[in-house]
Amino acid sequence: MAQPEEMQIQVNDDVSMALLVAGEGEPVIFLHGAGGLFWDPYLDQLSNQFKVYAPFMPGVGNSTGLESILDVWGLVLTYYDLFDALELDSVNIVGHSMGGMIGCELAATDPSRIKRLLPIAPAGLFDIDNPMGDIFAMVPEDLAKRIILDQESEVAKAMFALPDDMDEKVAVVITQISTLNAAAKFLWPLPDKGLKNRLRRIKTPTLVIWGKQDGLIPVEYAQEFKAKIPNMTLEIIDQASHTVQLEQLLRCVELSCDFLTADNLRPAP
Amino acid sequence: MKFVSFNLMPYRELPKDFEQKYESVWVTPPKTLYDPRIGHEIYHDYLDALEYSVDLGYDAVGVNEHHSNAYGLMPSPNLLASILSRKVRHSDTTSLIVLGNSLALYNPPIRVAEEMAMLDVLSGGKFIAGFPVGTSMDTNYVYGVNPSELRERYYEAHDLIMKAWTTDETFTWNGKYNQLRYVNPWPRVAQDPHPPVWIPGGGSVETYDFSLKNNYSFSYLSFFGHKYAKKVMDPFWKRAEALGLDDNPYRAGYAQLVCVSETDEQAEKDYAEHAMYFFAKCMHIARRFVEAPGYRTVASLKAGLRSQLDGSAKFGSELVGEGLGWKDFVERGYIIAGSPDTVAEKLNEAAQELHVGNIVLINQVGSMPRELLMKNLQMFAEEVMPKLRDTWPQYDPSDYWPSGFADSYSTPDSPKST
Repeated sequence: MAQPEEMQIQVNDDVSMALLVAGEGEPVIFLHGAGGLFWDPYLDQLSNQFKVYAPFMPGVGNSTGLESILDVWGLVLTYYDLFDALELDSVNIVGHSMGGMIGCELAATDPSRIKRLLPIAPAGLFDIDNPMGDIFAMVPEDLAKRIILDQESEVAKAMFALPDDMDEKVAVVITQISTLNAAAKFLWPLPDKGLKNRLRRIKTPTLVIWGKQDGLIPVEYAQEFKAKIPNMTLEIIDQASHTVQLEQLLRCVELSCDFLTADNLRPAP
Repeated sequence: MKFVSFNLMPYRELPKDFEQKYESVWVTPPKTLYDPRIGHEIYHDYLDALEYSVDLGYDAVGVNEHHSNAYGLMPSPNLLASILSRKVRHSDTTSLIVLGNSLALYNPPIRVAEEMAMLDVLSGGKFIAGFPVGTSMDTNYVYGVNPSELRERYYEAHDLIMKAWTTDETFTWNGKYNQLRYVNPWPRVAQDPHPPVWIPGGGSVETYDFSLKNNYSFSYLSFFGHKYAKKVMDPFWKRAEALGLDDNPYRAGYAQLVCVSETDEQAEKDYAEHAMYFFAKCMHIARRFVEAPGYRTVASLKAGLRSQLDGSAKFGSELVGEGLGWKDFVERGYIIAGSPDTVAEKLNEAAQELHVGNIVLINQVGSMPRELLMKNLQMFAEEVMPKLRDTWPQYDPSDYWPSGFADSYSTPDSPKST
């Protein structure tokens, strides 16, 4: 795998963001989910074709200033500040889970800043009759079962391995908790923060990828995104749960690259 | 030394197989297990016991706040405290403690300033205000407060309440979480400048400084007794020293399960069953609800995470599952139990060891029936308390305890008496 470069950018007076950056070509911003950011094979493969910028959300890793962000709106403006700092007027966004939700918010708030939108199993909606799992009240064993279909796979083993050394273990768990805490700022106690009323504003070409056996956010949620986003294609992938981009790596990379290079742009209305 | 007669108000009749059949005593215990007729009896038994504690001369009677909890049936402790205030107002010795209101749960938080001022006035200036952050179960999972905001909301609420209590003029509050154009709560508090404040805590490191710097009394509330409390109280006193503060034991208190009977053997006969109920059922909490991410700060996680990861931190129900029983709980100090002599000796040792002046007594242990609770209260008050009263004679408790004006305002109990 490529070794991504680490960048640190002061994006406004209150927020400094750390990013992993790798590859050459058209820029793609990857927004991570509530579990945090890791340079994984999906990002690695994307970086073969694109310049991937993967920011740590404020409050995660070396990104600071979460306490200055009051709500989803504040978070959206912070990401626009990041785009400004990177001198990106309009950019491709890929986001997983919570990152997919943030991507949708970015595209709904100012459609001119987002070129193409690719949410993977995005959060942001809540169906009281088919509730998604509560990631904030889940022991790690239960979380593992819900987000990866094949518990014996290398993906599963790599994701939940803890170091043997106690000091390292404590450090890893503190990072996990801090990451979830930052996510909680925008997802607690339910991830419905009004996105359902804003999805209609997304005019950007949009591809949503969802694992057919998603054990965390049921695949039925995809249909509500489809019903509300005017220009959206849905790809449901069999034999995958919530971590679909790693569980079905090649298929997801292929779909992502095709979408992110397709001649599908039209001027923003 | 000062003694608080404290009652968690547990439900006494959880089914025998509760801990096998249900996930948790907290957050999700099925409401169908609660029989309001039994609940009615329980509330009045416990209120009777707290009123009896006033007669017995305890230094305070105390209630606290929990939500969706089968062992803590006081979602609104202020309601029960207001009932107790009627009796406390006549007492020369007994104060009234709400330990306390979880500040971030009250919107706007001036509700706490108002209700506690009512209690202070009702009790005749004998009220002690408890300001806990509250557990993660109560605040995050049941009341839905965002864990990334809980502590900020708590501190802001505290600042607002204290300003409301100590400012004579109407003022405006423009906070991060609260905006109020006109803050001017009536009634004002009876005590000047405000009731003593106690901070009940589970031992998060920030709480030490917050208590010490504001001259509030810190209470370590766990159900695992004095040996366990030492891990928290030692660093507390170290911190006090580092801040250049005195070692007044009334700066601190701790909670202790206490069971008194005629002899050590009789104590086991009387209380073992109820103590097992407490540890097996009331301490049966689903791991997934113990702590929302961010409930503890990184500093507190660094201090406490190791014992969780190496498996040494366990719930009561897990300990019972491993075969621990009465003798182990007594030996480990979770419960101080036995004859009055035994209890006095052990409690004195514990207080010396922890250097605390305030003992928050949990005398209602699990499923104890009314008569046993009354016996426990009476024997402790009459045969243990006198032996320990004069501990710490060289220290002045008055920063942390109210003096009250009940005597001068005392009125007859019954409207018919003259």
